[in-house]
Amino acid sequence: MKTTGETIVTKDILVLGGGIAGIQSSLDLAEMGFKVYLVEQLPSIGGKMAQLDKTFPTNDCAI
Amino acid sequence: MLDVGRHPNIKLLAYSELEKLTGEAGNFTATVRKKARYVEEDKCTGCGACREVCPTPVIDLYNEGHAERRAIYSWFAQGIPSTHTIDPDHCRVLTGKKCGICQKKCQAGAINFEQKDTILELPVGAVILATGYDVFDPSRIPEYRYKEIDNVVTAMEFERFLSASGPTEGHVYRPSDRKVKAEIAELENKVRKSLKGLEKFEKDHGMTSAEFYAAHQNGSLNPTEALEKDRDKWLERYSAHLEHETPLLALKEKAKGFKSAKKLAFIQCVGSRDLRFYPFCSGYCCMHAIKESIIAHEHDNDTHSVIFGMDIRAVGKGFEEYKIRGGNNSNIVYKRSRVAEITKDADERPVVIYEDTKEQKVKKEPFDLVILATACGPVKGAGKIAETLDIQMDRFGFFKTDPANPLDTTRPGVFVCGCAHSPMDIPESVAQASSAAARAVQAVMKKTDQKAS
Repeated sequence: MKTTGETIVTKDILVLGGGIAGIQSSLDLAEMGFKVYLVEQLPSIGGKMAQLDKTFPTNDCAI
Repeated sequence: MLDVGRHPNIKLLAYSELEKLTGEAGNFTATVRKKARYVEEDKCTGCGACREVCPTPVIDLYNEGHAERRAIYSWFAQGIPSTHTIDPDHCRVLTGKKCGICQKKCQAGAINFEQKDTILELPVGAVILATGYDVFDPSRIPEYRYKEIDNVVTAMEFERFLSASGPTEGHVYRPSDRKVKAEIAELENKVRKSLKGLEKFEKDHGMTSAEFYAAHQNGSLNPTEALEKDRDKWLERYSAHLEHETPLLALKEKAKGFKSAKKLAFIQCVGSRDLRFYPFCSGYCCMHAIKESIIAHEHDNDTHSVIFGMDIRAVGKGFEEYKIRGGNNSNIVYKRSRVAEITKDADERPVVIYEDTKEQKVKKEPFDLVILATACGPVKGAGKIAETLDIQMDRFGFFKTDPANPLDTTRPGVFVCGCAHSPMDIPESVAQASSAAARAVQAVMKKTDQKAS
């Protein structure tokens, strides 16, 4: 966080939704050194992808 | 997923909701409500001892309603965070009844029925919206009789059947057969109880209940004084017992013929490419159907699948090859057709009525299981999200974006990715998520530079 004059500028980023898209965004940002708040409404992250058994076209496990 | 839980730069706020977003790009304040789990996150070890003793069954939505969980639960076994959660709508204590057995059982002392929601005020520079999608409800198409015919399921339900950790442990049993099996289990329980009630009479009078009943029926019963006293009660209990046992035996006989589902029909474009509902293509369902048929075939080599679609859209790296491989090696037949109706035959088998466009004939074919490829629609509550964030939606309920900057919503500093943007498959979602991360960084860096100079 940086304070310049009266405005506070923050580099922290909020990600809404902990499915595969939210997880990927959060990890990318975190790896770049940004602080991320990942908000998920369900008790655990994973989203729809966590319900999948395998994924196409490689038949890899989803989780 | 594990990396997210461990990364020092990520603060994971699961079981939380955004309530308000004020300010502007580079200087937002997000108000987040962290809902009470009634379990202390820093104490819970996720061992599951509480779940084992919880007496309250609740329908498990993670398994698409095909299994039961308890009122204290983890969303799924490998979930991050592994902290359990108490469902306030079903927990006995939280609905004002007596219980608290989980609290006694928890060795970590993590259960706290007094926990309250907490409100967090987070200063953030940018927001990425990755709220995903919800599938189309196929009961809106009455001719497919979803929910009316047990053996018509959605692709997501079928996905849970195929999963080794799912309700059928990876075996493809028909839901109608599972229903009968559940009935059998229930009746067996009742029979066990009624047998216990008969035990005392049988011991006291030295004959089985069946012998007693037969003797009573043909008048050969020589009642002693004690038997005379017990007779009416015994008769009453025995007939109550028969009421459960007779249907139980009949159901058991029926269940002997149950086999796993081997002939599968996949119906594409349920709700999508349909002017009554969503005119657009969901993009991933063709590949999803092919994948499910391949997995089902891997599990049981006798499985045959027919995929009914207007055309099979295998657009993506390695997708067309995957489709051809499925046809060659996994007993998949692709039929160009739009299914008109699904009915049911005497053996609970769904009958698919369709036009074979190659032969130009209307045909009827029974299957063991029908799987509906339901469309990708906007997430439930998209309207509320749009209102909270003060952004606009398109006419279908996905978040509106700028054609020149496809991940920018109508509010500067708020970006969107994945199925919250539009229907897409996993590889595309992942790619777009990385792009959204880059856009968010641009937004906060630009703001920082401007303010600093």
